[in-house]
Amino acid sequence: MYFALTDEQRALAETARDYLADRFDLTAVRAVFEDTAGDGHPAELWKAFAEQGWLAVLVPEENDGIGLGLLDAQVLARAFGTGAVPGPWLPTVLAGEAVRLAGSPAQRAAVLGPLAAGELVATVALRAPGGSFDQSGVGVTADAGPGGARLTGTASPVEYAGVARTAVVAAKEPDGGIGLYLVDPASPSVTVTALDTYDGTTRLGGLVLDGATGERLPESNAAVLAELNRRGAVLTAADLVGIARAALTRTIEYDKTRVQFGRPVGGFQVIKHTLADLHVGVLMAEHAVLYAAHAVDAELPDAELAVAVAKAKAGDAAQRATAAMIQYHGGIGYTWEHEAHFFYKRAKRLVATFGDAGEHLDRIAALSIDA
Amino acid sequence: MDLTFTPQEEKFRSELRGWLDANIPAAWRDPGFWRTVPDDEGFELRRDWERRKYEAGYGGIAWPTEYGGLGGTPGMKAIYDEEMALARAPLSANGLGLTFLAPTVMAIGTDQQKRDIIGPMLRNEVIWCQGFSEPGAGSDLAALRTSGVLDGDEYVVNGQKIWTTNAMHGDKLFALVRTEQGSEAHRGISMLLIDMHQPGVEARPLRQISGASEFAEVFFTDARVKASECLGGVGNGWKTAMMLLSFERGASGISQYATFRRGYDEIVAAARRLGRDTDPTLRRELASRLVELECLRYHAMHVLTQVEQGRDLGSESSITKLQWSEAYQKLFETFDHLLGLDGVVTSPVEDLDLASLQYEAFWTRSVTIWGGSSQVQRNIVAERVLGLPR
Ligand SMILES: Cc1cc2nc3c(=O)[nH]c(=O)nc-3n(C[C@H](O)[C@H](O)[C@H](O)COP(=O)(O)OP(=O)(O)OC[C@H]3O[C@@H](n4cnc5c(N)ncnc54)[C@H](O)[C@@H]3O)c2cc1C
Repeated sequence: MYFALTDEQRALAETARDYLADRFDLTAVRAVFEDTAGDGHPAELWKAFAEQGWLAVLVPEENDGIGLGLLDAQVLARAFGTGAVPGPWLPTVLAGEAVRLAGSPAQRAAVLGPLAAGELVATVALRAPGGSFDQSGVGVTADAGPGGARLTGTASPVEYAGVARTAVVAAKEPDGGIGLYLVDPASPSVTVTALDTYDGTTRLGGLVLDGATGERLPESNAAVLAELNRRGAVLTAADLVGIARAALTRTIEYDKTRVQFGRPVGGFQVIKHTLADLHVGVLMAEHAVLYAAHAVDAELPDAELAVAVAKAKAGDAAQRATAAMIQYHGGIGYTWEHEAHFFYKRAKRLVATFGDAGEHLDRIAALSIDA
Repeated sequence: MDLTFTPQEEKFRSELRGWLDANIPAAWRDPGFWRTVPDDEGFELRRDWERRKYEAGYGGIAWPTEYGGLGGTPGMKAIYDEEMALARAPLSANGLGLTFLAPTVMAIGTDQQKRDIIGPMLRNEVIWCQGFSEPGAGSDLAALRTSGVLDGDEYVVNGQKIWTTNAMHGDKLFALVRTEQGSEAHRGISMLLIDMHQPGVEARPLRQISGASEFAEVFFTDARVKASECLGGVGNGWKTAMMLLSFERGASGISQYATFRRGYDEIVAAARRLGRDTDPTLRRELASRLVELECLRYHAMHVLTQVEQGRDLGSESSITKLQWSEAYQKLFETFDHLLGLDGVVTSPVEDLDLASLQYEAFWTRSVTIWGGSSQVQRNIVAERVLGLPR
């Protein structure tokens, strides 16, 4: 029995944490957060991501990647949550996963090498506004045209749609199935709209396709879409536990020193008990994310359940921890100047990304009640 | 990550499973069985069964062989606990002795105590009770008042213990007694091993909300105990008690998951019988309970890993206690929500017997009180894990 990260995985986490603390702390995050007109994609940071191999973790070695698993990738996602780090890491990595899982050898060669090297920013467009993160939520349809497939419909919100040079678009096909397509967002039949979002730690856009050409990933189908959504859910859950841990740790530090009624407010039992419960919740979420990542890597029979558990639990932990961060800082926690809202807003977005609590609880119910 | 057990551990599992299959009477596997036999009779059945299990080689799984144990790995102990839960094996008749007292005796007992205590405990010849709580000393255990005054080579004990589990079946108590008169708080306490079969010791059963009487109050009126029957040294009772309580820490979460998960499945089955399994609100509530149970399972694997790596779990056991007890209790709150009015009668429709689940639902109200209440555990986590001020 070994339920823990390996020394290498721990070292990876430390490298990421140290780099971010040194080179991209919350002051740097704030600059991106407040530059609402900017693309939210600091070049320095991306360069570092590429140099450190953080874009190559899941890319197979034959495509110039490192060929590690989701367990390793979630180490990074967690660190990015802890630092509220901006940039198109998650959508790029997931687009790579789509190509790895369903692309032809030629597509893999064309996409994965540049992606691992940081030369290709990519994204995934898997859902229409209001849709769920499964087959039923897909809002694009594919029709067979003379020169290949033509895609029509909407996908939104799409992370870093304005920066990505390639988008993996999920589309319903004439036979009722699902296909994944590589689409160039710059092509004339694609409109990219920038969406105004309160979470300045990312940039979101909408994709409107009007007969756009798409290059099908030949092995793609509904199962691959489900697998991609699962992987997205695990990495999002990892980001959320990073957020939750950061919010909790910062709150504890503050409440140890903030004095009211002649004593540190962290000594009041109501606050102590709430933070103790939060610690238990965040710890359980951390375990759940580890397990889910491993379950997907090792194709354990309960992988689907584990992913839903991890996403539901991590979302809950992050929501409660970031709300507590505001509450237990008092007025200062409600100011723009304070960093609490970075974590709170990022959590609010990610809680609903790749399936909100309701969606995952429904899946857990289906797996455990109807089975 | 490697979530597998070693081949030797898996071999142990299949042998144990075979033995349990052959040696647990079919009737016992019916969840209602233990309520159909009178309390005393049920206790004797369990006592005898557990002795036979020990004789078959399944006692003291992770204890050193020199003490009659199996010398097994922490993984084997986890497997043992899990298999016992899966097989619906009877609850241990000597759980407090086996879990707490025995490892403490192995660590700090005298040679005489090791000989006198461990073997008879394994054979269930002596059933042990934990005499810690008093009417005036619960969470604040150091407020205890029961006194022991030396008279020749014996202590004379006066006072009262309460909530003493198994006291009506017990043979001996490991009790915290104030042996230094006038001492306060943690000082002046000794752990005495008191024979319950003597005129100065009287146990009176207390009835619980479930209707059962699993605990009792115990009165000491000039009860006598030999000075040599002191564990850990005179005046060291507090330190001994803290060591003793630390032995709760293990990978028990794996077996708890097995038990609670069966509860979940039984609740789901009952809901299905009553046509309530499709209610979307209740489905989500059930699912959120399962989230916590699954987290308990992952956490148990984490804890087992720590134990196997020889790490000190320290205050982490408070986290484990909070997770399992709160998750278990909330699961049965959902049981009430799910069945509504039908859940208040033991058999709402033909062939659906809810009595065991209802009994368990009452039991879950106690799990956040004993073994350190949830409030006390939160204090420990806040102060010792998070470093918040006292
Ligand atoms: C089923 C069962 C079996 C038991 N078996 C045994 C046994 O075999 N041997 C034995 O010695 N004891 C046993 N106990 C007793 C158990 O250990 C005590 O009930 C427990 O320690 C709580 O003490 P108390 O009942 O005096 O409650 P109190 O300590 O009076 O607590 C009352 C309430 O106040 C809260 N509280 C207390 N202190 C604090 C604080 N500092 N901060 C915040 N809240 C606080 C508690 O959480 C609780 O909610 C058993 C109890 C039960 C229910």
